[in-house]
Amino acid sequence: MSNSKNTILSLRNVKKHFPIKEGVFQNVVGQVHAVDGVSFDIGAGETVGLVGESGCGKTTIGRCVSGLEPLTDGDIFFDLTPEKLVALEDFEKHQSEIKNKYLIDEIQSTSNISKIEGDDFYNYRRNCQMVFQDSFSSLSPRQLVSDIVSRPLKIHKVCADNELIPRTIELLEQVGLGKQHLYRFPHQFSGGQRQRISIARALALDPKLIVLDEPTSALDVSVQAQILNLLHDLQKQRGLSYLFITHNLSVIRHMADKIVVMYLGKVVEAGKTEDIFANPQHPYTKALLAASPDLSEDVMSDMAALDGPIPDPARPPQGCSFRTRCPVSRTECGWEVDDIIRRLEHHETLIDSIKSVHQPDAFNAKLTFETSFSAIELKDAIGTNDIPKQMRKAIKKIEVDGNDVNISFDPVQTVPLVQSDNGSLSRCVLANK
Amino acid sequence: MSPDNLDIQNSLDKDLIASVTDLKVYFESKQGMVHSVDGVSFDIVDGEMMGLVGETGCGKSVTARTFMQLVQSPPGVLAGGNIKFRSKNIKNGSQVIDLLDLSENQIRELRGERIAMIFQDPGKALNPGLTIRTQVAEVFQEHRENDVLEKAGLKNKLSGVTEYFVKKYIKQEAGFLVTTLFKIPPLSTYKKKIDSGINRLVAEALEETQIPNPTKVMERYPHELSGGMKQRVMIAQAIACNPDLLIADEPTTALDVTVQARVLDLIKELQKRHKTSVLYISHDLSLVRRICDRIAVMYAGQIVETGDAETIFNQPKHPYTQGLINALPSMSHERGKLEAIEGIVPELIEPEPGCRFVSRCMRRKANCEEIDPKLKPISEVNKSHKVACLLYEA
Repeated sequence: MSNSKNTILSLRNVKKHFPIKEGVFQNVVGQVHAVDGVSFDIGAGETVGLVGESGCGKTTIGRCVSGLEPLTDGDIFFDLTPEKLVALEDFEKHQSEIKNKYLIDEIQSTSNISKIEGDDFYNYRRNCQMVFQDSFSSLSPRQLVSDIVSRPLKIHKVCADNELIPRTIELLEQVGLGKQHLYRFPHQFSGGQRQRISIARALALDPKLIVLDEPTSALDVSVQAQILNLLHDLQKQRGLSYLFITHNLSVIRHMADKIVVMYLGKVVEAGKTEDIFANPQHPYTKALLAASPDLSEDVMSDMAALDGPIPDPARPPQGCSFRTRCPVSRTECGWEVDDIIRRLEHHETLIDSIKSVHQPDAFNAKLTFETSFSAIELKDAIGTNDIPKQMRKAIKKIEVDGNDVNISFDPVQTVPLVQSDNGSLSRCVLANK
Repeated sequence: MSPDNLDIQNSLDKDLIASVTDLKVYFESKQGMVHSVDGVSFDIVDGEMMGLVGETGCGKSVTARTFMQLVQSPPGVLAGGNIKFRSKNIKNGSQVIDLLDLSENQIRELRGERIAMIFQDPGKALNPGLTIRTQVAEVFQEHRENDVLEKAGLKNKLSGVTEYFVKKYIKQEAGFLVTTLFKIPPLSTYKKKIDSGINRLVAEALEETQIPNPTKVMERYPHELSGGMKQRVMIAQAIACNPDLLIADEPTTALDVTVQARVLDLIKELQKRHKTSVLYISHDLSLVRRICDRIAVMYAGQIVETGDAETIFNQPKHPYTQGLINALPSMSHERGKLEAIEGIVPELIEPEPGCRFVSRCMRRKANCEEIDPKLKPISEVNKSHKVACLLYEA
């Protein structure tokens, strides 16, 4: 990143967990790790694309950034000058020896969106706007377009009452609508026009950052092209920054400067758009690219598809979270006891005969069966091809003791994000070597 | 069905499975007739994958639904045209029928049996209150009572009257009395056998769509399955009777890219294995190109261009097709320079004569607003590539 520009948004190890409540008293029985330690920066005038499958936490990040969800952990900093960013990075590296405590305190009180108050918070709300996916549900059906677009102006008292309508018309004209659309209801517009109204509303307060949550996924190709052109023109005119959330890779390739690929609440790869598309490092990114149809590709190139479902985000796998579906998984990916059970799911009688499971941590477990026969059967099943070779190799110990089976794996730390050859960050054991 | 269909039989080419001619489906509204489908003609070659592409509201789904007479009437009005379909029923040999002439009872025999449909949103198409087993079993109960008997081990073992009632029971057409009798001995033993027979058929059908653990999945409700799994259940339902024509109405729109790739692979593989013809409806051009043999592009209720998938993508002739292909974001475009088709789709209420695309067309000529373009072969050499545009009319 160049040192002259401000960093509009900086996410530092952001976590968002949703509690799972059960029973009459709504006891919290677990946490869904929707976003689990995400960090990235958005520079001024930059577009950062956030890609991933549904349920990977990309929309949650968008909601956290725009202040719609409080964070569980981590910080989001808004509008940092280069000096502040350097100070912050310095502070994170050597937390014990604080050099410029004064500056850090100032950053925390003026830029950290979960700590700022009063005018600063007001200012942040003005400067961070959001465009939602479904323009049907994000525009009030009972309000006129003039009300919808002028509402932010009224709330933030940017212009006098008699200037309200001219300013609204100006905004509508910027997004390709006009005066004649002022006194209509949202249902009188087509999908593309409604999305333009959403954009006009987001632009009303002249924000620095717009969070675009799948702005074109409900639109047709020809209209999508119109909206993408509009977004790009607005960015050029006003120097906006975008956080562009989408699952459509060809759109993101077209729009984004930097790409962040998410899987199960974690960033698996991040880097410049060209680098990621030319030379993807993480197997998940590779699979995504291979699976998305593109006109420029050869027809019927191998549709590399991923096996299996996404693991439960309430119990995300340790080690590498992608290993359960990874086509190039290794012994050191961090296999755990749950993987064995998942793999043997079709041995119905065997799984049904499990009486109890004692699991002190993810890598060690004692399974108790109803009969000793089943226990031996499990050991045999693990020896078969139902369990991939890499996983079998990773088993440290498997013992049959009467009705019990003790299984243990070598514990593995969460795979870190590391810099790969092409400068992008990737979270894979293969890249660590 | 009847001798007077014989003349139609001769008119359908040997290699075709279905042929739509000048189909017109209108909808009544307060403002006037909406011409949703206005003179659509295309053929589906036996064993091929035909793609029908177009924007929202261009009539592609209505066209598909007309195949099964699923367009609600009123407000739907069938204003003309016919759909000829070669039904390859093993019992009666193959025969050509006009799908639009059939009575409700006749079309019911075809639905799910010879023509099957996969709907867009599996979450909405599956009944949330019934288990997967019940929903897949319906197809077998309706069309395959003999198979059920065979799986239940009751074939040729029953006397005429009992068999008649057992079949009625399987088809769920039996009255209250018979249904009750099947719950108490001695008939309850039949019920158990029939149930296990149906279970085995359902499990086989689910297994064919690569659903792991079919016997477990059978007992679940739709909300317990992921989107990809639900779509697999839908596909299992659709191909259960090995139909001649499978209509897939945007089957992967609600799915993720990675799951989409899996489901597409599955459809393609099943199509090859069963030699089923597929009418694949989608708005996603790049996807259609990947899997379809031929493509028809629809705009505002009419087909504007049709031909081989490769020809359409490499040499699109109609300005609309060209616009659609150029509007796809790709590496070749500079950012912000996507070639969008300006304007919006015209209203289809009592449309004026002339080309429907004229208001958005970059290459319009003076007489485009007056003359209706006809779908014509582009050259003498390539008869299969047809386009409806005055630019190519001599």
